[in-house]
Amino acid sequence: MAHGYRVVQWTPFKRAFDSVLLLSVAAFLIAFIAASLAAFPGERAVSAIQLLIRAFGACAFALLTLILMIGPLARMSPRFLPLLYNRRHLGVTCFLLALAHAGLVLVWYHGFGAINPLVSLLVSNPRYAAIVGFPFESLGLVALLILFVMAATSHDFWNAVLGPRLWKALHMGVYWAYALIVAHIVLGAVQGEKGPIYAIVVGVGAALVVGLHWLAGAREVRADATLAPEEEGWLRVGPALEIPDQRARIVTPAAGERIAVFRDGAKIYAVSNVCRHQGGPLGEGRIVDGCVTCPWHGFQYRPQDGCAPSPFTEKIATYRTRIEAGVVFVHPTPEAPGTSIAPSLVEVSTP
Amino acid sequence: MSKEDFFIGWSAQTPRVDRRFMLAASAGLIASAAGAGALMASAHDSAVGGRWDGVVRDWTGLLLSEPYPLLRTLDLDGTPRTAFLATSRKTAVRAPAHLDGAFVRVRAGLIARDNHAMLAVADGEAGIVADAAAAPASLLDWPAVAAGDVMLTGEILDAKCWFGAMRPGFGRTHKACAALCTRGGLPLAFCVGSVCSLGGEAPLLLDAGGRPHGRAILPLVADPVVLRGRLVQVGDVQQIRADLGAIHRL
Ligand code: FES
Repeated sequence: MAHGYRVVQWTPFKRAFDSVLLLSVAAFLIAFIAASLAAFPGERAVSAIQLLIRAFGACAFALLTLILMIGPLARMSPRFLPLLYNRRHLGVTCFLLALAHAGLVLVWYHGFGAINPLVSLLVSNPRYAAIVGFPFESLGLVALLILFVMAATSHDFWNAVLGPRLWKALHMGVYWAYALIVAHIVLGAVQGEKGPIYAIVVGVGAALVVGLHWLAGAREVRADATLAPEEEGWLRVGPALEIPDQRARIVTPAAGERIAVFRDGAKIYAVSNVCRHQGGPLGEGRIVDGCVTCPWHGFQYRPQDGCAPSPFTEKIATYRTRIEAGVVFVHPTPEAPGTSIAPSLVEVSTP
Repeated sequence: MSKEDFFIGWSAQTPRVDRRFMLAASAGLIASAAGAGALMASAHDSAVGGRWDGVVRDWTGLLLSEPYPLLRTLDLDGTPRTAFLATSRKTAVRAPAHLDGAFVRVRAGLIARDNHAMLAVADGEAGIVADAAAAPASLLDWPAVAAGDVMLTGEILDAKCWFGAMRPGFGRTHKACAALCTRGGLPLAFCVGSVCSLGGEAPLLLDAGGRPHGRAILPLVADPVVLRGRLVQVGDVQQIRADLGAIHRL
C-alpha cells in the first residue's frame, strides 16, 4: 500500500478553475431565481424556499451531468484534460448543492409536523411497490449518501490509503448516483410538472452522458482490437524514430495491461500504460524532467525503473525492450513494479 | 506538440494553447449555466394563488369544533367567512370543549385563497379565549344544504397548503408534506380536475357522515383519484362527502 500522496499546492490554474466553477454555479442559481421571479410575479410566485429547493436540485443535476461528460471528453481530446485534473472540486461542489437541496426539502416538506422529519421522509409515502407514485425522495437520499462518501474520500490521501483499485471501484459509484438521480427526477419533478421542461432537460443530460461514454468506449474497444504483431514472443512496436521524442506509443498485448513505449532522445523504455493513481493512460503523457508524467493528474515515474521520484512511493511495471534494424520490440511479460531495466539505444542523427 | 502544450495540473504554468481554449470554455460554461438556469426556471410550474400574509391579527367569531375546529368570522372586507383553525405548524389546533359554540377571540395569521380561509393560531389552544361580545346574526344558523351526488376526479390535498401555506402546495413533490399535514389532523380538500395548478374548486373532503376521514386516507393523499360522493353546502363552505370505499386511485 502506498502511503505517500502528493501534497499539491495551489496554482494559478487551480484558482482560475475554482473561480470559473463558483461563477458558473452562481450564474445558474441567480439566473434560475431571477427567471422564475420574472416569469411568475405576484400570486403565481413560487415561495422562496421552494424556489431554492428547485434551483439547488437543478444545479446539482446539471453539474453532475457535466462531471460525467469530462471523462469521455478527455479520452477523445487532450484539450479537456485540465477539467479532469480538478474534477474533485466539481464533485465536492455538486455534493454541497445536493446537500442544500436535501436539507431544505427536509426542513420545508418534512419539518414542522407531528413526526420527526427523517421518519417522515421514509414513511410519508409507503408505496415502494408502485412505479408511478414511487417515493422518489428515497432515491435522492441514497444518491446523496453515495455523493457524500465520494466527496469525503475524494482527497488523494484516501486514494493512497485505500489503494487505487478500491478507490476507483468506490468512485465508480458516481454512475449509480447519477442513475438514482435521474430516476429521482423522473419519478418526482417530471411527474409533478405540467410542462415538459424537466423531462427534456433530464433526457438531454442523460443522453449526453450515455452517448459520450459510448463513443469513448467504442474507441477503446477499437484500440484493444488492434493487437501488436508478435514475432518470436516479442511485440513489434514500430520504427524507433517514429515515436515522437519524449512521447510514447501504446501497444496492446494479447493479455494484460497495455504497454507504453517511450522515447527519450536515444533511449527507449517501456512501462505499464496504467497510472497507479487512478489508472490514467501514461502513454498519452510525456517525459517531463526525465520522468514519465501522467496526463490526468501529473503523477510521475522514472522510465528506467517505474518508480515515482522520492519522496513518493508509487511503482509501475517495466518491460524489456530491444531494437532490431531501427525497429522497437517489447516483451509482453511485465517485470515486477520497480524493476530497473536498461534502455535500448537507438541512433539519432543530429542534423 | 511542444512541451509547452502539455498540461500538468500542479505546474505553475498553464500552456498557452490551453489557456486560450480554457478561457473560451470558461466563458461558454458561465453563459450556458446562466442560460440553463433561466430556461428551466421560466418553464417550471408556478404556484397559482393563495397566500399566508404573515400578519398576526385578532379575529373574533363563532367557534365550532365540527367537522374541524373552525371560526365563523368576518373576513377583512366584512364578508361572513368560515376560517378553519390550525397551528402555525403542520398540526391541528384543538377547540377548547367549553368554548364550542361560543363567541371567541383568536390571535392568528390569515392563510387565504379566493374565498377559502384558514387561521394559523399563534398560541395554539391557549390562544382561543371567550369574548364578551355577542355573535352577529350573520354568523348564526348556517344550515347544511345537500347539492346532489357527483363523481369527480382530482387530488386529495391538505387544505392548509392548498390555501397558500405552501406555494405550490399540490402535486408529486408536495405529497410528503400533504401526508404530514394529514397525519397532523388538518382539514383535507379535494381539488377537482386533473391539474390542480390551474386553480379551480377545492371542496372540503369529509366522509359520508360529514366527519373527518382520519389517517386511513393517507395512502390516497396527493395522488390522482376518482370519487363518488355527495356535495353539501354549509354557509360559504362546499363539502364533498365520500366514504373511503368510494375513493379510488386512478
Ligand atoms: S491517473 Fe491521476 S495522475 Fe495518473
